[in-house]
Amino acid sequence: MSVTQGGRSPVYVRPMPRTWWLRTRRYRRFAIRELTSVAVTASSVILLALLFALSRGRDAYEGFLGWLDSSGAVVLSAIILAGVLYHTITWLRLTAHIQVVRLGRRVLPRHLVLAGLLTLWVAVSAIVAYLHIWL
Amino acid sequence: MAALLLPVHVAILGIALAAGWLPSDALSYERALDLVRHPITKVYLGVLVALPLYHAAHRLRFVIHHQLGLHGGRRLVAAACYGTALAGTALTVVALVRI
Repeated sequence: MSVTQGGRSPVYVRPMPRTWWLRTRRYRRFAIRELTSVAVTASSVILLALLFALSRGRDAYEGFLGWLDSSGAVVLSAIILAGVLYHTITWLRLTAHIQVVRLGRRVLPRHLVLAGLLTLWVAVSAIVAYLHIWL
Repeated sequence: MAALLLPVHVAILGIALAAGWLPSDALSYERALDLVRHPITKVYLGVLVALPLYHAAHRLRFVIHHQLGLHGGRRLVAAACYGTALAGTALTVVALVRI
């Protein structure tokens, strides 16, 4: 039994083994989602590096595009993309679980909420891609 | 929420560019400058790059304390996580202002 002396009275803290998140499939999937935060950070850092290269002029910008074209960068991007996709899709799934959508007296079933969120996400991503590439 | 739009950017810059799926001038220097100099794009990019850093900082703090079971140094870990996010935000603003 472990007791911490935090405030006025001792608080019992149930001891947790360090590997609690390996125990069940649900825990492991939760742990993977938490770890994909690293991919989220990496995406931000790559975008930031691109913006910095752009602010430093043509040579720096084209140099960075050259790096993005290298096989190492593609492998890294594929890993990061898998991570952020997992992070995004699990986010939409948990939103569909939490958010109750009512239509009059009826409650919209979860799978329809999820389908709506996924459609919205794909549509917005497509608009961003269109503006990014063709506008 | 901003993190929801990261996958499409990673897919375009990391995969589509190298695979040659984009029109040749899609990411040319002139076009990129034109696009990023627009005020709406600047606000969009500021939000897109900076906000996920705070989200990830918070999640990684959770990973360190509750998943890896390292309960010591809470202040240090918090300072490192949120400090990195703040530094990233400052760098993003600097880059966007200089473009």
